[in-house]
Amino acid sequence: MLLNSQRWAQIEELFHRVVECDPSQRTALLDEACKGDWELRQEVEALLSFEASAHDHVQGAVHSEIAGFGFSLAGEVVSHYRILSGLGGGGMGLVYLAEDIKLGRRVALKFLPDESIKDPSALARFEREARAASALEHPNICPIYEFGEHEGQPFLVMQLLEGKTLRELLEERRLNSSKSDSGEKSGHKAALPLDQVLDIAIQIADGLNAAHQKGIIHRDIKPANIFVTSQGQAKILDFGLAKLASGVTDAFEAAERNAQIANLKVTATSPSATPDPFLSRTGVAMGTAGYMSPEQARGEKLDASTDLFSFGLVLYEMATGQRAFTGDTGPVLYEAILKQPPTPARQVNRELPARLGQIINRAIQKEREARYQSIADLRGDLQKLKHKVEATRMRRRLAVAFAAAALVVGIMIFWFAKHQSMSSQALPDVKLTRLTDNAPENQVTAASISPNGKFLAYIDDQGMHLKTIGTDESRSLVLPETSTAVSWEMMTNAWFPDSERFLANAHPATQAPPQWSSTSTSAWIFSVRGDKPGKLRDNAQAWTVSPDGASIAFTTNAGSLGDREAWLIGPNGENARKLLEVGEGATTGAAFYFFPDGKRISYVADDGSGERGVTRDLNGGPETTFLTPSERKKIGDAMWLPDGRFLFSDPCDEGIQRADTPCNYWVERRDVRTGKVIEAPKRLTNWIGSSLAGPDGVTADGKRVAFLRTSGRTAGYIADLQAGGTRLVNSRRVTLEENGEDAVLDWTSDSRTLIVNRNRGDHYRLYRQELGSDRSEPIMASEPGGVENAVLSPDEKWVIVQIFPWGGGDNFLTMVKVMRVPMAGGTPEFLFSVHNGSSMSCARAPSKLCIVAEESADRKTMIVTAFDAVKGRGTELDRFDLRPDANSGENLDHSPLCSISPDGTRLAIARSSFSPIEIHSLRGQPTLIVPTKGSDRLDHIKWAADGKGLFVSRRTYDGEELLHLNLKGKAHSLWKSHTCFGIPSPDGRHIAIYDTQQSANVWMMENF
Amino acid sequence: MRGISATHDVTHLLAKWANGDERALEDLTPLVYKELRRLAASHLRKERKSHTLQPTALVHEAYLRLVGQKNPRWEDRSHFYGVAARLMRQILVEHARRQQALKRAGHRVSLEDALNFHQERSRDLVALDSALNALEKLDPRKCKAIELRYFGGLSMDEVAQALEVSAVTVRRDLRMAETWLHREMQSG
Repeated sequence: MLLNSQRWAQIEELFHRVVECDPSQRTALLDEACKGDWELRQEVEALLSFEASAHDHVQGAVHSEIAGFGFSLAGEVVSHYRILSGLGGGGMGLVYLAEDIKLGRRVALKFLPDESIKDPSALARFEREARAASALEHPNICPIYEFGEHEGQPFLVMQLLEGKTLRELLEERRLNSSKSDSGEKSGHKAALPLDQVLDIAIQIADGLNAAHQKGIIHRDIKPANIFVTSQGQAKILDFGLAKLASGVTDAFEAAERNAQIANLKVTATSPSATPDPFLSRTGVAMGTAGYMSPEQARGEKLDASTDLFSFGLVLYEMATGQRAFTGDTGPVLYEAILKQPPTPARQVNRELPARLGQIINRAIQKEREARYQSIADLRGDLQKLKHKVEATRMRRRLAVAFAAAALVVGIMIFWFAKHQSMSSQALPDVKLTRLTDNAPENQVTAASISPNGKFLAYIDDQGMHLKTIGTDESRSLVLPETSTAVSWEMMTNAWFPDSERFLANAHPATQAPPQWSSTSTSAWIFSVRGDKPGKLRDNAQAWTVSPDGASIAFTTNAGSLGDREAWLIGPNGENARKLLEVGEGATTGAAFYFFPDGKRISYVADDGSGERGVTRDLNGGPETTFLTPSERKKIGDAMWLPDGRFLFSDPCDEGIQRADTPCNYWVERRDVRTGKVIEAPKRLTNWIGSSLAGPDGVTADGKRVAFLRTSGRTAGYIADLQAGGTRLVNSRRVTLEENGEDAVLDWTSDSRTLIVNRNRGDHYRLYRQELGSDRSEPIMASEPGGVENAVLSPDEKWVIVQIFPWGGGDNFLTMVKVMRVPMAGGTPEFLFSVHNGSSMSCARAPSKLCIVAEESADRKTMIVTAFDAVKGRGTELDRFDLRPDANSGENLDHSPLCSISPDGTRLAIARSSFSPIEIHSLRGQPTLIVPTKGSDRLDHIKWAADGKGLFVSRRTYDGEELLHLNLKGKAHSLWKSHTCFGIPSPDGRHIAIYDTQQSANVWMMENF
Repeated sequence: MRGISATHDVTHLLAKWANGDERALEDLTPLVYKELRRLAASHLRKERKSHTLQPTALVHEAYLRLVGQKNPRWEDRSHFYGVAARLMRQILVEHARRQQALKRAGHRVSLEDALNFHQERSRDLVALDSALNALEKLDPRKCKAIELRYFGGLSMDEVAQALEVSAVTVRRDLRMAETWLHREMQSG
């Protein structure tokens, strides 16, 4: 609409009236004033919608342009950098966005403050320190690429980060919270969300810890020096800069700082004309003074603890939205830092976990001695808290009652590194006691605790035993003579109420647990008095005894899915009556349990659509499903407690888990009749890694539960090969260190040097070791994460490493980095990424071929691509349709099976773990199928040095076997253990074996 | 010495420019540029309690440094500030246009986001400039108020004095002007 001055005046007049009137009157005012002048009304309303943000918008436009003026170098070329625009400025100089003309990448260029030029030795020291921090190549330390000088002004070139400094994040937060609170002081509303606090804090602690371990102290940890990228990665900026900026030797620091702080004033009367004495002499502006440690304020000599303190203040600020120390003038702030404890974080933000308050408090103690000993300790506490927070928030678990038949023999994923660094820590009140102490060779396979809590009956490879709990007394029970060899099994609730007798089942020793059914199984009753065991019945699996001791529940009549009939019978074989019967394709299932009233039972049934947990009255009535098939899959084993609570484990019963997989017990309360959860699940343990089977019984008072816990140990071996690789002799450990997960991953072509990896905790380390010597040299420094595989490039200049991210999950969708490290030692550089579980291998010179085998996104095809240690990914060589049983969804249950022959001409592949091995020529020769038994599960393929055979690992029901397989299918067994695979030496004389052993023992849990 | 002569030059040039000598602007611009840069850089380097760089204060400071606290030749303060604010506006808009030109010069492909962000800001100022031109035709006093306040760095009271109106009027003028400008910038 065209405006004339009259109209404009009209609009303005109304605009002011409306803006100034009571908001509730606005509409009425507009109605009255416009009187049908629709255009006027529209115009004023449009203006009104802009009114609130107008001032900020106009001011912002001018402001940002002026800010841009500070960046005088925009558009210029400095050294080989084209400066594009200003990025920001801090107490330590201006930062520009620049383009590296040589490398064509974008970087951040930071000009150091003028003061820094005054002391060349300080500059040199800073450079040293900054380089040292940078050399750590730590993901949480912003790397510096280069140092330079432009017209006498030193600058440094840093990685360009996208995101914000923590200071900006916190300020935004403060701004938003004060806006939403209409100016009221809003305390903790400015705090970051707890997840973010912990996440950022742990990352900062990681970075600081890495630096401290190299003796590098930051000295100026504060929100402005912490960058949070848009991906949420925290990076510490400006290592060493604080010291440079101080520009004075330690000897002078005390006096200087004292004087400066005393003189410091926040509001400089003339910000530019008179240089701020504090800024110019120390480079540490007011903002930083608020994060100083007391010892720093006193000008004392500093150690790593100063960073810990400052970090504590940063943590405080993230968690509360407020600074711990504020003061309008230097002396006030100084006093606060030295003497006043800040308001406890939890008083500011009542939503904080108490533990976080404690952690912060300990970090910001005035006396160094009272603080954490190291950032690593602090980090540990943060990490524990994080786990706790995550676990309690875990989605509600529906649970239930089940007792798995025996140890479920797990499908184990092929991982070079299995971390068993689990802590045996329970939640505060829960008490854990280990009841058995069996070696890996003799794992406990089943157990049950007696109702009076006096005995533990358990089974291992040596037989069946009875332990008197609380003593060292344990005796073996005499087993009955059977016509054929049997494997014994014991159910969760195997005991009679009198605690004198228990049930056990005898299965044919020739069968693996998954094959067990009632068909060739007999049920027995054992006695603690040493009476001869009595057979209850053939063709039956016995589950449990009723509370009155009069009835035993057993199943029989196996169909395709399991036993189809459930019966009750007296202890002397009397009074047998059928309880349930289902059709051929279904099972009445397992895990029978009598509720304490003896009138209702719980069990697991399956009509072909998956296992369900159900309850029903003994004398008929409908089944109540309390656990649907999908809910069932979310839990591991479970059992009812006498008081109606329900105890269950995470689904971590399948073999050894990765160390970062939670594997815990939970308890919740359910309505026995409806199955509904009436008390939310509570986690009882705090474990990661390992695996659980059971629970294995509960005492009658419901206070003690037994369970089976499995943990693993790994070791690397070297052995000599004879008879063309078909015989193995003289095996010895690669390193003698206990629990050293040292795995030989490759050999040099002269077969004299081994590439070895050690995964320890959440870090890995690659080194090389001479064969027959224990001298080792690092290839790279310890890095967070774990190595999944490493191969030597054919020219032997690089080690190519496949690294799985720590905590990334055991999942196909997790992306894994492939990096290269110089064989001579150095830092890893990123090559490309692949899906978790992809496999790579390299041929030997003169071939230059390395390949990576990956599954397509739909996991239906294996794609084999060439790669080069320098150039990265190359062309696709071949692709193979996978068998449908090769995988299942996102879950990673194996790696693509593919290996390149030493001469680089052939691929050995398998389309699933159960498929035969195929040899595909890359030179157009016909494909060869290696005939094999095919009943076991193929886990690993590696070409023998002579190209005439393969070393393969096959999983069996109770472990894994390493075989030499010639191309005609003839197999020779070389090694057996829980898991094992071999890496042959190029001269064909040796083989390195990675071996894991598993031990399983019974534990008891109390006070849950 | 240089400082003194610069001050002298600036005062002189401003007077010339105010009297319609367009060439004076050419000589003025680099001097003001330089001073603004120095100031802005020093402000950027200071981590103040509030990260907000007060543009008004900055601009004001630039004048003070350029022309001195008391300038005998400029007894008509309002006139002086009016000229100075207009000068600052021109300089800032010029700067903004250059930033945009830098982008057009072909950095677009390699620079992407980070640079875009800065150009985004520059575009804001260019939009503000043309909205101000439109406002000037409609209501010259309001345009002047905005210039004095934002490009001249004057306080409300000073703007009132310069425009010879009451502070209340200035406040209302600014509110209306800002709102209208915001809307104009948005639609333009």
